[in-house]
Amino acid sequence: MNEVINIDDAMYPKRLKEINDPPDKLYFKGDWDDDIFENCLSVVGSRRITTYGKTITNNLITQIANAGITIISGFMFGVDAYSHRAAVEAGKRTIAVMPCGIDIIHPAYQKDLYEQILDNNGLIISELESSHPPAAWTYPKRNRIVAGLSQATLVIEAAEKSGTLITAEFAKKYNRKLFAVPGPLTSKTSIGTARLIKEGAEIVTSAEDIIKFFNISIRQNKKETNLIYRGLENLEQKILDELNRESLEVDSLARFLNISVSELGKTLSFMEIKGILFKERGKYHVNQSTFSN
Amino acid sequence: MLIKVPSATNSGLNTIKVEVEVDVAKKGLPTFGIVGLPSKAVDESKERVRTAIVNSGFKFPGNRIVVNLAPADVPKEGSFYDLPIALGILSSTNDFKLPESSLFFGELSLDGSLRHAKGALLLALFAKEKGIDNLFIPKVSANEAAVIEGVNVYPVENLKSLLAHFSNEEETIAPCEYKERNAKVFDNQAEFDMKEVVGQEQGKRVMEIAAAGGHNLFMTGSPGCGKTMLARALPGILPNLTEEESLEVTKIYSASGYMPPEGSIIKIRPFRSPHHTTSRVGLIGGGSRPQAGDISLAHRGVLFLDEFNEFPRSVIESLRQPMEDGNLTISRSMEKVNFPAQFMLIASANPCPCGFLNHPKKSCTCTERQIQEYRKRTSGPILDRIDLHVDLPVVDTKKLSRDSKLKEPLEDSQQMRQRISKARQKQKQRFTNEPVYTNAEMKNRHIKKYCPLSKEIKQLLHQASAAFHLSARAYYKMIKVARTIADLDNCEEINSSHMAEALQYRVKA
Repeated sequence: MNEVINIDDAMYPKRLKEINDPPDKLYFKGDWDDDIFENCLSVVGSRRITTYGKTITNNLITQIANAGITIISGFMFGVDAYSHRAAVEAGKRTIAVMPCGIDIIHPAYQKDLYEQILDNNGLIISELESSHPPAAWTYPKRNRIVAGLSQATLVIEAAEKSGTLITAEFAKKYNRKLFAVPGPLTSKTSIGTARLIKEGAEIVTSAEDIIKFFNISIRQNKKETNLIYRGLENLEQKILDELNRESLEVDSLARFLNISVSELGKTLSFMEIKGILFKERGKYHVNQSTFSN
Repeated sequence: MLIKVPSATNSGLNTIKVEVEVDVAKKGLPTFGIVGLPSKAVDESKERVRTAIVNSGFKFPGNRIVVNLAPADVPKEGSFYDLPIALGILSSTNDFKLPESSLFFGELSLDGSLRHAKGALLLALFAKEKGIDNLFIPKVSANEAAVIEGVNVYPVENLKSLLAHFSNEEETIAPCEYKERNAKVFDNQAEFDMKEVVGQEQGKRVMEIAAAGGHNLFMTGSPGCGKTMLARALPGILPNLTEEESLEVTKIYSASGYMPPEGSIIKIRPFRSPHHTTSRVGLIGGGSRPQAGDISLAHRGVLFLDEFNEFPRSVIESLRQPMEDGNLTISRSMEKVNFPAQFMLIASANPCPCGFLNHPKKSCTCTERQIQEYRKRTSGPILDRIDLHVDLPVVDTKKLSRDSKLKEPLEDSQQMRQRISKARQKQKQRFTNEPVYTNAEMKNRHIKKYCPLSKEIKQLLHQASAAFHLSARAYYKMIKVARTIADLDNCEEINSSHMAEALQYRVKA
């Protein structure tokens, strides 16, 4: 069932009222609860998420959402979808601000995510009427709501000219805090974030950087690292050292370690089965989650 | 006067005996008619026969001539009834006797010489099976038939010499010698040698495994990374066909009319690479008179499908059953034909529509959605039937030439081929009593019998199945691939490192 909140309603999010052109109406799905808006972090980023971006998004958002901060994003595929997913997988609330009416699921194949957000007491909101289609002009308008709802905006991966940077501009304009995750300068989707850092966005190296900003104390769970490290063979350790520096494909790895691909292949299989490594887009990556917690 | 000249016709890979009855009547107006469901090519034989007889210096009788092709209810096609018809007609004007227990086969040229005919090998096999002693076929096709022992193959050059052979006291045409079966054997010729392929170490390794065990292979990689080059280098590392295989392959080529004139027997493994606009019938085989498609022409060899995702889905899906069974039956209302199709599928595709996903320099312009759609074009069931999967990285040539670690000279195709031949030999020994030649052809019962796994390996495989979500079919594929890796390693038992390497080439979820 669709509901609507007007700008003069008491329940209208206060922070959103502070921006210069707040939406008159907010259509929403889910249980509207005032404290969902208390501590909010907007997470935006590229649609073309890299393996690096996925790893970072998962790690950061899981911890931030677990600290009780509401994750706000735009429901687009890429960083948006990964952020929403990390939040719902942690069983936490997240708000999706749609570029279309809330009855339309766009992109349609993320229907499962749409439902998971609602199942986890999250909200689907939009200033557009129920079946308004998405259009080129609705995205930047949506972005001002994303930036306006939260105290801080986190940018993970952004290309040089992107919608992500539009959201970042809104956040600056509304005097909200802007965080950016650094990335390799060779990646196209790191150019935007590098520029934001240069222009004064705060650099994020761990989830604590953001959680501290919200003045939330973190439960210190002692990391038991190196548990798996202990059982590693010599070659496995070498592989891990190489891959911790840079994700590589089999041929390069074999060249660097000066061993045959068949020899390397079998070790990689063992490491994959143990969950130490995973293969994506032709390259091997170290599974970071195996080593944290 | 009535004369019966024995001949035969091929339908698929089967041969049926056809009796050519020629009656040259004493009375009646001069006409020339053929009955017995002749096709257009058979019917036009009248003009060829008439002209050839006259041009050979014989007289064409001005009588009423009726030719019946018995059995009368089987449709006849092809042009090789020319010779039996001409002999039948000439027997009324010339004095000669056809030898007993013979078959006549061949198309006449207008000057009376005989042209290359398709299916000569099948005819010889048929003659041997039925205990027919003599085979009279065109000289240019004789090498093909001469590989069958126990049949006298007479190479006929033209009508005149054949008649002289029959009329004289002594035989003037000598039968082909059996030893000629080795005529025109070519060595494997590949466009590239494996040592010309720079980088792609894993690609080469996987080619070696595929060639050794006859496994299907799926390669993914950006344009220009060397997918096609690797595939084109593959014939160079494949061992020659064994004697039985060679006969199977030549049968298909002979029946389809792809044997070159003077050709004898095919020793090299076929390599077929149809373009992605190929029709389903072209690839699988079919037609109203069923013909072998590319998959059958690739029997015991390689079917290379470049740009696999560009093939229409219906064409690719129709590969499923032949890939599983190694043969296919084409059913038409008039006939049912079985063609073998035990081929190695080598498929290659780009990782995304623009091709530059994972490219170190160029950036991919596809959205995640487009990439998913693109990958969905290849169906899961087909991927599941492919044993080996590999991602080929883009080779940075500059980086490679500067790389000092690359000390050892690259292995050439000949060295790889020796290892592969040894592995194939081991398989041949293993499957002596089975209708199977390679590891890839093993059915589950063969796997249970010939690939016993230790407890440790079973455990490894179970862990891997759980971690990588392997299907039951993929599970068995892994064992087959591990068996081939062990064969290359010259090991009787599959050990855990063989299995672990096999897991590298599993289907990606």
